Amino acid sequence: MEVITILIPLAILLALSFIVGFIWMTMKGQYDDMETPALRMLIEDEKISPRKNIISTKEKK
Amino acid sequence: MNLCVHCDEKILIAVFNDQDLDHNEPFCCSGCMTVFNVINFKGLEKYYEIKKQSAIFKRRSPAENKFQKFSYLDNKEFLDDYSYENLNNRKTMEFYLEGIHCLACLWLIEKLPEYLDDVEQCRLDMQRSVATVSLKNNGLFSNVARELNNLGYKPHPLKRNQSIHDLKILEERKMLLKIGIAGAAAGNIMLYAVSIYAGADGLYAKNFNLLSIAFALPVLLYSATPFYQNAWNAIRTRTLSIDIPISLALIIGAISGLYNQFMGINENFFDSLTALVFLLLLSRYFLNKIQEEGLTANDLNFFYEGNSVLKKVDDQFLEIHPQFLKVGDIIKVSTNEMIPADGVIIEGETLINNSLLTGESRPQNVGINENVFSGTINLTNAILIKIENVKENSRVGKILKQIESGWIQKSPIVDLTNKISKYFIAAVFMLATILFITFYSQGKTKIALERSFTLLIVTCPCALALATPLTLTRTLSRASRIGIIIKNNEVVEKLSSIKTVLLDKTGTLTYGNLKINHFKIFTNPNYPIFEVISSLEIYSTHPVATALKEFSFERGARTTHSVDNYKELMGTGVCGEIGNHFYEIKNSKIFEDNKCIAEFTLEDHIRHDSLASVGELKSLGLTVKMISGDQKSIAESVALLAGIDKENVSSEMTPENKLLMIEKNPNALMVGDGANDAMALSRSYVSVAVLGALDISLKASDIYLTTPGISHVANLITISRETMKVVKRNLVLSLIYNSVSVYAAFNGTITPLVAAIIMPISSLTVLASTMIGTKKLNARLKTGSA
Repeated sequence: MEVITILIPLAILLALSFIVGFIWMTMKGQYDDMETPALRMLIEDEKISPRKNIISTKEKK
Repeated sequence: MNLCVHCDEKILIAVFNDQDLDHNEPFCCSGCMTVFNVINFKGLEKYYEIKKQSAIFKRRSPAENKFQKFSYLDNKEFLDDYSYENLNNRKTMEFYLEGIHCLACLWLIEKLPEYLDDVEQCRLDMQRSVATVSLKNNGLFSNVARELNNLGYKPHPLKRNQSIHDLKILEERKMLLKIGIAGAAAGNIMLYAVSIYAGADGLYAKNFNLLSIAFALPVLLYSATPFYQNAWNAIRTRTLSIDIPISLALIIGAISGLYNQFMGINENFFDSLTALVFLLLLSRYFLNKIQEEGLTANDLNFFYEGNSVLKKVDDQFLEIHPQFLKVGDIIKVSTNEMIPADGVIIEGETLINNSLLTGESRPQNVGINENVFSGTINLTNAILIKIENVKENSRVGKILKQIESGWIQKSPIVDLTNKISKYFIAAVFMLATILFITFYSQGKTKIALERSFTLLIVTCPCALALATPLTLTRTLSRASRIGIIIKNNEVVEKLSSIKTVLLDKTGTLTYGNLKINHFKIFTNPNYPIFEVISSLEIYSTHPVATALKEFSFERGARTTHSVDNYKELMGTGVCGEIGNHFYEIKNSKIFEDNKCIAEFTLEDHIRHDSLASVGELKSLGLTVKMISGDQKSIAESVALLAGIDKENVSSEMTPENKLLMIEKNPNALMVGDGANDAMALSRSYVSVAVLGALDISLKASDIYLTTPGISHVANLITISRETMKVVKRNLVLSLIYNSVSVYAAFNGTITPLVAAIIMPISSLTVLASTMIGTKKLNARLKTGSA
């Protein structure tokens, strides 16, 4: 049972590290929008390549 | 039926792509085609690939593509009011975008910096349809807005009060922190508590208790602060709030735990206390989230103001934002534009679609010196208006204010479980005190402590407080699977006590658009009359024209002829020349060279399932009433077809009258779709918006049906009644369990250890009852809807 004297402080340390991580994430604003990031990660992150010359709205004028 | 490549609407008259001859795909309108070309042009065609794979859809509609300069967005006055600097000191503005529906939109919008040089960063919040755009140094918001508009998302700049906004975000984050800390602490304490219940003693028990206290302190001192605050406020204003007994329980529990520790007794309740704080905070958080989904009336203004107007300044027309309109200004409203403020016509005459205000489906003819209202749509000719009332003084503005106050009135309802657990907690503490004092006065301190603790442990209101939300949440998710979106828990309870159902006519019982009823041809039956009709009406956006186009398409008209001297006749119809013949379509008749060749009548068709659904509602013992903005004769003929009794029909109702009607029927369920119903929806006991409803009525209603028509309303009532049966059964079970265990604790038949074992078992029993109950409900729904 002596092993418990090591295991319990370890468990507490683990718990504390999670709590600190959670506080950090929350204050950074990672939980501000719960819906969009879940969708955003489904999209492939690749650059777009225009097929023709891009005419931006500025040039149209 | 062919579907539009861009918006997936069914195609009535196909528009073919002249720029992309390789594929030649059909579109429902030129708006969708233009957007399709813009997207392809920029190399963004992956949009369509993502759209195909994405399963999450909101409402979709054909893209509106109308050129707008948005030059007002670069006005200094406007920028001061609407934009702010983000953390990197970039000019930032928020836009509400119309037409955001799926993953592909997210992709398209957030790619903005890649195809528009002005933009530094762009983030989209899908739930709110709000894009936050920050600019590079020389960027202009007008370019951003034009680009978004080109892509078919009509942008509306949102005014943001920076300090209030920051405060709100901080508040929300702190709430999350409190929940997180409470959850983590409760979980860890549970580990120690279980080993103590299981028989740990001596040094272990002592240390475990110390650790429990260490974990419980942040919960009691930080996470639980909202309860103390609410309780204190309630005491100060002399009102009863559930937070008073909760705070009391927390404080007494904490003090007795610390006292025990001090006295060397290895018993405390920090496990139950922290779990209670965690669960209560969590449920409050979700409730808040749901209530926040409604935009404020301020955010909704743009639905009625449109987003830019042409104001007359020294014989010129300048584009400005409706926010800056003043009484006395003269503005120009073009065809198919929304009138941004109440006013009087000083030049021109036109047809106005008033349905937003009155619910009446037929357009109204207005001329010089006649009043027009904001939120209505100018259909046929450009007009000049002198403004008389703006913003909250306009008729629609007043309605919006009422809707907002309806929201506020509606939210603070403490539901049945909360009420019961409030008394429950108070009663348990009273009993525990009595128990303690009785034995303590007899000098039996140990028994006094042991029995009162047993009582506190065994009578945990968890079963009570958990089972009901769980049942309701399961019902909500079941309902959403068959297309009923219920916005909050309380509605289910209220639905089960509904006596009357009030149905809107247009769009709810009927399809909401005019259709050709009878069509009689007076000439040779082989005459290509439908091609003539679709050629003539192709440019008209009048509802009658739409009905005629649809009818012609169904009769096989696919080709159109070129029309010379085309003219729209004010309020009556259209005319023009095809080949050598002169055609007129007016007053429900079609003329060829002044000879009548055909005649038709129009009707708003009743939905095929309305009669059956009304019958079902009646068989559930409900009174079904109809309220409509339309004329009496039209309303009564629809009522007859839907099986609604004549005395239950109210016609020619304004939004204000509908509200009175709601107040006369206190336990009524209101079903509607238009903005003219929004006020009634927001004030009614329970409200349902049907598919195709305007955004404003979605926000104002409690429930939203994703299938057209009212076929699910009866289902909804059945679901709620069954759910409340399960809830009541759970309450009875838990009350029986609690009274038996209180008795046992009084007698000393059970020890604290036994109590700690029975308590979770009782919770499990109630949970099992919930699962079985809702499963049965699900089976019933399946057979019902199949």
